[in-house]
Amino acid sequence: MKLMSVFFLSVSSMVFAASPTTAQSTQIAESAESRSAREIMSTVEDYQRVISDSAFNRIQLSSCRFGLQDNQITCAERPRVKALESVAINLGDDKRDTKAVTIVLEPASERGIGMLNFSYDDAQLDNETWLYLSALGTVKRIASGNSDDDTEPASVFGSEFTTEDQDTGKLEEYEITMLEEATESGREVWKIQTVPNAERARKTRYGRTVQYIDKERYVALRVDMYDRHDREVKRLMASRVEQINGVWVARSLTMMNLVTNRLSNMAILEINTGIDVPENFLTQRTLTDVAFREAELEKLRAQID
Amino acid sequence: MSALTRTLLTVLLLPAMAHAQDSVDFNFDSSIFDDSSLFDATVRSPRLFTFKLSQQTYGHINKHGGFDISSQPDNQSRGTEINRTGLLVKYQNPFAQGWLLQGSAQAKGYWSGDYEYEANGESIDTELRINELFVQRSSERHSISFGRQTIVWGETEGNSVLDIINTSEFRDLTIINIEDARRNQWLLVWDYFGDASDGNRSDAQSKGNWSTFLNLYPEFNPAPVRGSPFFFEPQFNLSDYRRDQPLFEAGTRWSRSFTGSDIALMGAYLYENQLRYSAPADGVGDALAENNGFWLLGFSANRAIGKLLLKFDIAYNHDLLADTAVFQQGVLPEAQLPRISTRKKSQLGTSFGFEYAISNEQNISIGVLAQRLLNADEGLAVNEILLNDDVTGNILLRYSNSMSNNNLLLMVTAQSALDGASQLLSLAANYNLNDNWAVMTQLIATRASKDSPLQFLDQDVRLGATVSYSF
Repeated sequence: MKLMSVFFLSVSSMVFAASPTTAQSTQIAESAESRSAREIMSTVEDYQRVISDSAFNRIQLSSCRFGLQDNQITCAERPRVKALESVAINLGDDKRDTKAVTIVLEPASERGIGMLNFSYDDAQLDNETWLYLSALGTVKRIASGNSDDDTEPASVFGSEFTTEDQDTGKLEEYEITMLEEATESGREVWKIQTVPNAERARKTRYGRTVQYIDKERYVALRVDMYDRHDREVKRLMASRVEQINGVWVARSLTMMNLVTNRLSNMAILEINTGIDVPENFLTQRTLTDVAFREAELEKLRAQID
Repeated sequence: MSALTRTLLTVLLLPAMAHAQDSVDFNFDSSIFDDSSLFDATVRSPRLFTFKLSQQTYGHINKHGGFDISSQPDNQSRGTEINRTGLLVKYQNPFAQGWLLQGSAQAKGYWSGDYEYEANGESIDTELRINELFVQRSSERHSISFGRQTIVWGETEGNSVLDIINTSEFRDLTIINIEDARRNQWLLVWDYFGDASDGNRSDAQSKGNWSTFLNLYPEFNPAPVRGSPFFFEPQFNLSDYRRDQPLFEAGTRWSRSFTGSDIALMGAYLYENQLRYSAPADGVGDALAENNGFWLLGFSANRAIGKLLLKFDIAYNHDLLADTAVFQQGVLPEAQLPRISTRKKSQLGTSFGFEYAISNEQNISIGVLAQRLLNADEGLAVNEILLNDDVTGNILLRYSNSMSNNNLLLMVTAQSALDGASQLLSLAANYNLNDNWAVMTQLIATRASKDSPLQFLDQDVRLGATVSYSF
């Protein structure tokens, strides 16, 4: 599971729902076009890593059942809203691994629920997640869902975003192909298809994805996700693209589940990068020791005020 | 737009949505989520208090087939068994940098039909209890907390041989899970956190953490409440423990995480949470309550393998009191009532199991707890036998299925004694109407053989609901 990374690598990772990153592909014979597409995807992810390093973000996660009104998707019920704070740092070779912690601030019934996540770029390493539930009184390691047949990834805080949607790295496990150049949301985009290789196919629910990458800003504006029967099951829409620290970022990400007719919107209200985050903060202690967590969060908040 | 209108709109639009799945394009305006007032209010003025108001009503809906204390058939269906209103208040205040004051308390009112109402002479009863109250000071490496709090050891949630520091109270059958039954104790806890940093390695884990506790006022599991489903008329009055000597519990635990695994080692001096009672010397009055101090050595570990999480606990208890039966010499055992006594013994226990994420929404876990006295015959007199030298324990199965973005949660809990003498099955559905309102319905069935200490719950079925409002 990579629950946390979504909040830091959000923009890129959504997109990488089934996409990879590193340009060191070894297993897939590539045409000139696919190599170009791979470079684009790698660039997109590299850009996004810039904003995921030493980051302190505030996120609002809204979910609802949706309907169609005047050819416009809209919520058919009052959205359920969660307020989250998250902190992350990148580590490892080329800083491609991520440690992140996210705490629920609202609603009151879920306040204090926290998750700690270690995401590894290395395809051989399963990502790790720990969860703290006050009712249990202890930190609980969560069984990951990314290694067996027919895996269905876990939901992120009860939303339509799943752990797999947040997946980053492991690009070498995908065949990446440029489909065409097109227009999306008034922007010129590359339509790039990612298809998992045999090994990855055992771990993903997606048979392929089609990503609409903004040619100027290297942001995925839309991702269509297809199941193994080539039916579109989910669609990600990105908006509010803004430049932060020289990198374009989509601050609003909406995941539509076309099977259940439910959607979740992740609004990144604040993105603060370059924060001095002590590595000791990205440990299980942060989930249980509220005095420590609040003291450290105060220090982080002081850096951005 | 009213909720009804939204609902109707949704129903009418479902066919359109089905079509939309096949279409390539539709418009979406994310500005409907631009309102950040909830977040702004939360960050600027975090609330210190949260409240949960609940009404719980359960009925005992079948006639069970048990026997009362005089071995007379008891087939009385109680009808309404639980009818109570509760208010749970939680308080969390990081009042200064590195300091925390945290507490929780609950008030309950027992209305007509509730067994506590009946036990109170058919009149309304109330109860106020502080569950948690502690102050904590944390620095970069250390944390010290004092007050009523919880310590959970072991990996096998629900039936771990190591989760024995806090006492518990299973007052009635609506309380099935240990996390609901656990009672906090007055503890002084000192935690030391090792350095998590290891250069630039992202998979570097903590070098190990220490957690040490001291309890100068150990408590014990409370006796069953009169009238509750677990209450049985005792032969003698079950009194509280008389603290005519100082008691203390202390222990320490070292834990460390590795990639894909967490491990812990622990040692402690503890008292068995359940007091032991013996008949008064003169045969009348209060039963004699006796504590059971023992030494614990334990080890716990987990291992994540994809969607599978394996869990393992092992506990070695030394100097634990075990019940024995002492027979008069020269008289046939079948022809006499033995005298009940105790002997210090050692016990080995283990709990192990797994959790498996079947899918995004479904999760199943199974845990087995088993323990046995070691060297059963060692130290016994020739006319003395252990009352129980078998393997004892239970099996716990939990299954959950969450739907509709976790708004609807279906839960199945099944528990059985290892020897099959008693079983419990709970089917529950929890539905969150919104962030405030939730409804849970629950069906609980129990079965027990005549040899089981829970035989009075044989063939019982209970059905109930809890409505809660959180704010």
